[in-house]
Amino acid sequence: MTNSSSAANAILLVGHPNVGKSVLFHRLTGAYVNVSNYPGTTVEVTRASARFDREAMLLDTPGVLALPSRSDDERATMRALLNESSRCLVQVGDAKNLRRTLTLTALLAELGVPMVLALNMHDEAAARGVMVDIPALSEELGIPVLATVATGGEGIGELTHGLGHASRAEALLRYDPEIEADIERMADAITRLAPHPLLAARGLAILYLGGDSVVADWLAEHAGKQLAQLEALRQAASERADGDLPALLARERTEAADALASSVIQRAVRSSPLLSQRLGQYVVHPLWGVPILLGVLYAVYQFVGVFGASVLVGLMEKDLFEGILNPAFTDFINAMIGPGWLQEVLVGQYGLWTMGMTYALALILPIVTTFFFAFGVLEDSGYLPRLTVIANRLFALIGLNGRAVLPMVLGLGCVTMATLTTRILHSRRERLITIFLLALAIPCSAQLGVVLGMLGGVSFTAVIVWAIAMVGILLLAGFLAAKLIPGRRIPLVTELPPLRLPIIANVLKKTGGRLKWYLIEVIPLFLLGTFIMFALDKSGALPAIIDAGEPLVSGWLGLPKEASAAFVMGFLRRDFGATGLFSMAHSLSPIQAVVGMITITLFIPCFASLMMMVKEQGTKVALGMVAVIVPFAFLVGGLFNLLLRAVWS
Amino acid sequence: MSPAHEVRLPLAFIPPGTEVRLAALGDEIDPLQREQLTAYGLASGRPIKVLQQRPMTVILADEVELALEHAVARHIWVEKSPVVA
Repeated sequence: MTNSSSAANAILLVGHPNVGKSVLFHRLTGAYVNVSNYPGTTVEVTRASARFDREAMLLDTPGVLALPSRSDDERATMRALLNESSRCLVQVGDAKNLRRTLTLTALLAELGVPMVLALNMHDEAAARGVMVDIPALSEELGIPVLATVATGGEGIGELTHGLGHASRAEALLRYDPEIEADIERMADAITRLAPHPLLAARGLAILYLGGDSVVADWLAEHAGKQLAQLEALRQAASERADGDLPALLARERTEAADALASSVIQRAVRSSPLLSQRLGQYVVHPLWGVPILLGVLYAVYQFVGVFGASVLVGLMEKDLFEGILNPAFTDFINAMIGPGWLQEVLVGQYGLWTMGMTYALALILPIVTTFFFAFGVLEDSGYLPRLTVIANRLFALIGLNGRAVLPMVLGLGCVTMATLTTRILHSRRERLITIFLLALAIPCSAQLGVVLGMLGGVSFTAVIVWAIAMVGILLLAGFLAAKLIPGRRIPLVTELPPLRLPIIANVLKKTGGRLKWYLIEVIPLFLLGTFIMFALDKSGALPAIIDAGEPLVSGWLGLPKEASAAFVMGFLRRDFGATGLFSMAHSLSPIQAVVGMITITLFIPCFASLMMMVKEQGTKVALGMVAVIVPFAFLVGGLFNLLLRAVWS
Repeated sequence: MSPAHEVRLPLAFIPPGTEVRLAALGDEIDPLQREQLTAYGLASGRPIKVLQQRPMTVILADEVELALEHAVARHIWVEKSPVVA
């Protein structure tokens, strides 16, 4: 939800998905948002004060494909437009697709708020031979129009300067006379019955006639009993219209945008497609797509699984923590406070430092850092939307479309973040299935790193067995969920942004931002978890739990009974549990290692992502998922124990 | 405008490399998805270049690459007449 700012000091960034609003936001505020090279990454309005004016508050809104609003993202943006005290709007547009940009301008212009148009990705437009006559466009629209390349920081100075000259845009069109008469009648009624403090009644009238549900709600709230008059006017207008009124309005805006775009664009004839376009096609090629995907996965495995989880973890854990920091810290504590319970809390077997901080910083941090870096490179390269195309057929089997691959891949980074990102999916059914699969079978990067580190130490076969088990269970569970959850599958339609060479500085910034988010979340939970383990251990509850869990953990899963402690820890964070198993890796057989990792991966995700599931799907659904997942994890783990003992010894 | 007798083919049938003009979005396409396509710039009369058909239909419309599942591309009607600038 949005909060109204007191004075008119909000500057709203509005535009289509994937045009660079979030990068521009970062440039203008220095604040970090999750930025990705795929549509729909900004799922909520983000705000931060502007670098160039401490008084001004910049708002980054989710991308809108079109207005009037239809999707969750569009509704969130519409709410921001209605509820914020906007000083001005910055429409961020894709310079190489001016037509689409101006179709949105045609609507925003009617809102009567001062605005500026930033034509972003100007470099890509130029590379495609698209030249926009910017002074002419600025004159036609009556607002400052600026060319920017947000990723490279070009045109940002001009943009901040342009903000000082923001003005109300000229209308791009007059609608068909009959529709125009209806708009005027509606605007008059809105002015009388529910005037908006900032937005022009004409703009609201167009949105309301176009079927915008957020505007309808706002009018209902402010017109009170008089709403019936507005509804009657809308009803009359749609009866008079020669066809579907919202579609007619949209078509006329498209025509106007088309006309204006044609008059200011010059297109150089290009003889051959750009290298990035050709590469982009190979990536989704029916023959080359899959080998390229395997190559990408292998590179990520080498970087995260080998370099991060073995080399860096080795340096951090063995050399730095176990070799230097932990003995020094333990000596220091012993010297300062001597033996006793406080000493045990800090540096004992379940010590806040020796277990909590060591897990968080030595085992998890290197893995998460390398994963977020690799993911950032993939995001900024434009590979991920192409992955949706490759994955589409596979996801069709589980009642989803390729778009669901994005939360799933992001889930390999952080399931909590990914659960939030399921909002990019179009139907409730898709979101439900995806959240369930995320909770069940997608290991987050911390856990993935632990799994790869541990099983990689056993053998490559162990990694493959685990991976096949996970993919198999994902497909099976998805197939069953798709059969059980009613509703229709929505076919995939997606934009493929150009392949780009990632700018390492931007990837590093993004990695830094994600790490900060992750550490703020993870360290308190690791410390809390360690303390709970300590308390369970001291109170004698842990040995009791270990004994109680023995039939299940030792009898059924075939693991040493101490592994129960890892599952107790797994309730707090799944990766924390996996780390618990990792720390006893030397005493496990290959089969025990694989079974342990399969079970803990299927086990419920961390507490934070459980909370996110509750937030997104409600308590009932979230608890229902947990009630399915926990027994299922142990069931599958035990079956693999039996199977592997029979075939692999 | 195109002559009335111009043959209309499903976008899914058009070989890669061909330039066509969009004629209509079929009613079989989900209304929300139809609005989405319109918002992507797929309006009648718009030139479209088909880039590939497998595993999905990929088109270039106005410097924007779009990937469409065949279930959708099957119901997008296009005309093969040369694009008039």
